[in-house]
Amino acid sequence: MTFRASWLGEFLKHSVLLAGAVVVLLPFYLMLSYSLKSPAEIESNTGGFVGAQEMMTDRRCLKAGNPPEDCEMRPIVYNYTAAFSEAPLLRYMLNGVFVTVSIFVIQVIIALPCAYALSKLRFWGRNVVFGLVIFCLLIPVHAIALPLYIMLAKVGLTNTYAALIVPWSISVFGIFLMRQFFMTVPDDLIDAARIDGMSEFSIVWRVMLPTAIPALLAFGIFSVVAHWNDYYWPRVVITGNRDLMTPPLGLRMFKSDLDGNEYGPMMAASTVIVMPLVIVFLLAQRRFIEGITMTGMK
Amino acid sequence: MAGITLRQVTKKYGTLSVLNGIDLDIADGEFLTLVGPSGCGKSTTLRIIAGLEAQSTGDVKIDDRLVNDVRPSQRDLAMVFQSYALYPHLTVQQNLMTPLRMRDLNFWERLPLLGFLVPGRRAKMAQIEEDARKVAEALKIVPLLGRKPGQLSGGQRQRVALGRAMVRNPAAFLMDEPLSNLDASLRVHMRAELSELHRDLGATFVYVTHDQAEALTMSDRMAVMMDGDLLQLGPPDEVYEDPQDIRVAEFIGSPKMNILPGESDANGTITCLGLTLDEGLATPQPGKVSVGLRPEHLHVQPRETAECFSGRLTYKENLGSDLFLHLEMAGVENKAVIRAKPHEVDFAAVGETVWFKAESGRMRVFGTDGKRVALTAPDTKRKVG
Amino acid sequence: MGRNRAHIWFVGPAVLLMIVLLILPVFVAAALSFTDYSLGNSSFDWVGTKNYDALFSRSSYAKMFSASLTYVLLVVPISVALGLGSALLISSLRIGGELYKAVFFLPVMATLLAMAIVWEFALHPIVGIVNDVLSAGCDIGWLHALLSGSWLGRDPLSSWYGDGCADSFPLWLGDKDYALGTIAFIGIWQGFGFNMVLYLAGLTSVPRELYQAAQMDGADSAWERFKLVTWPMLGPTNVFVITISSIRSFQVFDTVEALTRGGPSKSTYVMIYAMFEKGVKQNLLGIGSAITIIFLGFVLILTLIQVYFVNRKVHYG
Repeated sequence: MTFRASWLGEFLKHSVLLAGAVVVLLPFYLMLSYSLKSPAEIESNTGGFVGAQEMMTDRRCLKAGNPPEDCEMRPIVYNYTAAFSEAPLLRYMLNGVFVTVSIFVIQVIIALPCAYALSKLRFWGRNVVFGLVIFCLLIPVHAIALPLYIMLAKVGLTNTYAALIVPWSISVFGIFLMRQFFMTVPDDLIDAARIDGMSEFSIVWRVMLPTAIPALLAFGIFSVVAHWNDYYWPRVVITGNRDLMTPPLGLRMFKSDLDGNEYGPMMAASTVIVMPLVIVFLLAQRRFIEGITMTGMK
Repeated sequence: MAGITLRQVTKKYGTLSVLNGIDLDIADGEFLTLVGPSGCGKSTTLRIIAGLEAQSTGDVKIDDRLVNDVRPSQRDLAMVFQSYALYPHLTVQQNLMTPLRMRDLNFWERLPLLGFLVPGRRAKMAQIEEDARKVAEALKIVPLLGRKPGQLSGGQRQRVALGRAMVRNPAAFLMDEPLSNLDASLRVHMRAELSELHRDLGATFVYVTHDQAEALTMSDRMAVMMDGDLLQLGPPDEVYEDPQDIRVAEFIGSPKMNILPGESDANGTITCLGLTLDEGLATPQPGKVSVGLRPEHLHVQPRETAECFSGRLTYKENLGSDLFLHLEMAGVENKAVIRAKPHEVDFAAVGETVWFKAESGRMRVFGTDGKRVALTAPDTKRKVG
Repeated sequence: MGRNRAHIWFVGPAVLLMIVLLILPVFVAAALSFTDYSLGNSSFDWVGTKNYDALFSRSSYAKMFSASLTYVLLVVPISVALGLGSALLISSLRIGGELYKAVFFLPVMATLLAMAIVWEFALHPIVGIVNDVLSAGCDIGWLHALLSGSWLGRDPLSSWYGDGCADSFPLWLGDKDYALGTIAFIGIWQGFGFNMVLYLAGLTSVPRELYQAAQMDGADSAWERFKLVTWPMLGPTNVFVITISSIRSFQVFDTVEALTRGGPSKSTYVMIYAMFEKGVKQNLLGIGSAITIIFLGFVLILTLIQVYFVNRKVHYG
């Protein structure tokens, strides 16, 4: 338009969006800020973002019989050391990494060949299998948690890593997504590989897998984000055994263990749990948003 | 009906200049084509006329009315888009009626449900339906009125898009590569139809295309654009016969004009690949020149004669009625192409040398700056090339 | 491995797992919903429809359905509207769009449980920053007058804000009138950015030429173009976003379990939490399974509605 730029409109839009951004960012700001401040500052809402960082005494350290001068520390140090010492946060994090990575790897191993067969091989019953996939897409795994839990309990798998991983080993959504992707891969590519003497097995892993990297990346982002953040399923199948807890579940235990004025360490633990994904997201924003939109079906 | 005038129109995106001062007078009722390779600024020019984009500087006038600050809908123009841009959720009839509803109904009358309560709306709607129907009849798309664009073929969509443009009886039609999404045979057929439509409506058409054949076949005048400049404006014959710029010469015409390297001496005599040409520079100036010769102006000789060009035949492209000989010539980068009748060149075999001469008075010579340079009349004293 | 047999190896594991992990549980739940089964007992009795009768008669389950439905009816419209609104604003910005996009998407990435705990603290009735800020506003004369409506000559005590200043501000999660709304607020906070990116994707798929055609046709204002082009073209996105939001908000659990445990007085007793409480915590697997089946019924209905709309009008071909 030649019509004069509507700076007023632009200004109004920014005002509305900024107000929204403040509300959206508020808990992130509080989480970071509380993880830095002393209990007194947290309760009185003083000290700005980082607090005064005056020396404070760690009561637990005193109780353990250490001399008082060894138990003096800055709030930031106190909060983060407490987060790692009072709860096995490191263990939780490692569990989280192990579980999310295992889930993703198994999902790919199961889904990729199936998606390949559904899109590129002709066999009796193919439509039935695809129909089954579509039907299973309708079943939210969270909804059938109870019967799954009973089945796992019956085979004695509750409170194991397997309980955290096995129910997610099949991703019908992953199959669906990969199939749609493979449909766009020309048949000629596969025929060329066959003429080159590749077995079907090596076609899947040496031809289809590399071509599917973009879709796999999107699916991987979706899968990792979902399972790193998942609280419901670990809550159902892990009872009491702290060595198996994933970060959100560990944080929940931490919360019920602590008495009221221990918000600092808890916020420090939250920060440690939330930040890895947030940082990766900020670094690779476009990919993340694409991945989540592409896989937005669940 | 209206004429359109552009005066020193420029367009810059940041530091990138896409139009460098376009001056263009489009006469009332004229079919004018803006033609050029992609990225030459032709579409931008059209969008500036439409008001969809603002020029950086310069003026646009429609019927002597300055429209720089006038909204697209108030410029009394209609546009046909490359993708047709039909509203996919509306039926053909509703698509045809949309411009009229927007123009003739006021805000209240357009409201869903509530609009029905406004007095007088019914009469207006009846008129609009009537107008849409007339256009549909003219374009022979009445049976399609109830369908949605998704159910139409490419050619049918094209007609609906034309109809949506016609329904308002605009002062001028702007068309942005409207045929490029059609298949080849339909495209050729639509050229004829568009020309007919232009004759029937008598309206101004501004037509953008990258296809020089469309420009040559349909336009009253064509404007060849390149790199943001308007290089040449004139009737198709004139642009084809008398290109004023080497880029125009190479762009218009298929196969391309052959460009041979030449040199002129202080007398204006031109030598090209060792031959002295029968025309010289009108204003002699020593230096390099480019000699342009269209394929149909080269004639194969049955055997080597004096003062002949020669080249090794690499490919015979047989089109049935015509035959193109592709020749590799020493000192020439691109292969030279000769148009001949098949029976005339029976003897020529791929891999062998072919001799040919240029028709007298047909060569077009360009200076190192790419601009056309004038020649003297054919001079019998000079040797014939 | 011959080519003719390869598909068995490729499809077999997936089919087996689908049957065991997805189909079978549905039947297990369906069967158990007619029993009084609990883990540890060696036997169980068939109790007919007793579990379902309980679900549809007892008041605590009435509260469960009402909490779930209220939650969905709060979260879906608001998070969809906010998602669409922010997507429209962001896509029309000259500068800074990417920044807002990243900010609004942040809660989608963040561990909900951790963020719920932060919100709980922010909404703490005494030390929480929300009530702190609200009561700080009471001491600023003009702000108090504006928010309490006394500048219009109304009695400040009759307004929500004026009453809060005079007495105290809500307990949020601790008050049965506010708890579900507060949980829903966190749900909206977390989810609208997701809807936003879906709408942004929907908006970029609207051909630019359609907007230009609308301009030529006389749709001069942004509102006219929204009506003529944007809204109809977003049809498929709308159906998709609304279905996804509904199914996601039916599954709300983390915030409820961590912050209210269904309370106070069952005001936030949503279905998944009830299923968890009955089935896992109290080992009443019969009733838990019955809730599971009803839950699946809701999801099925939502999906059928989606399929209906997808097939009906939003398919432009």
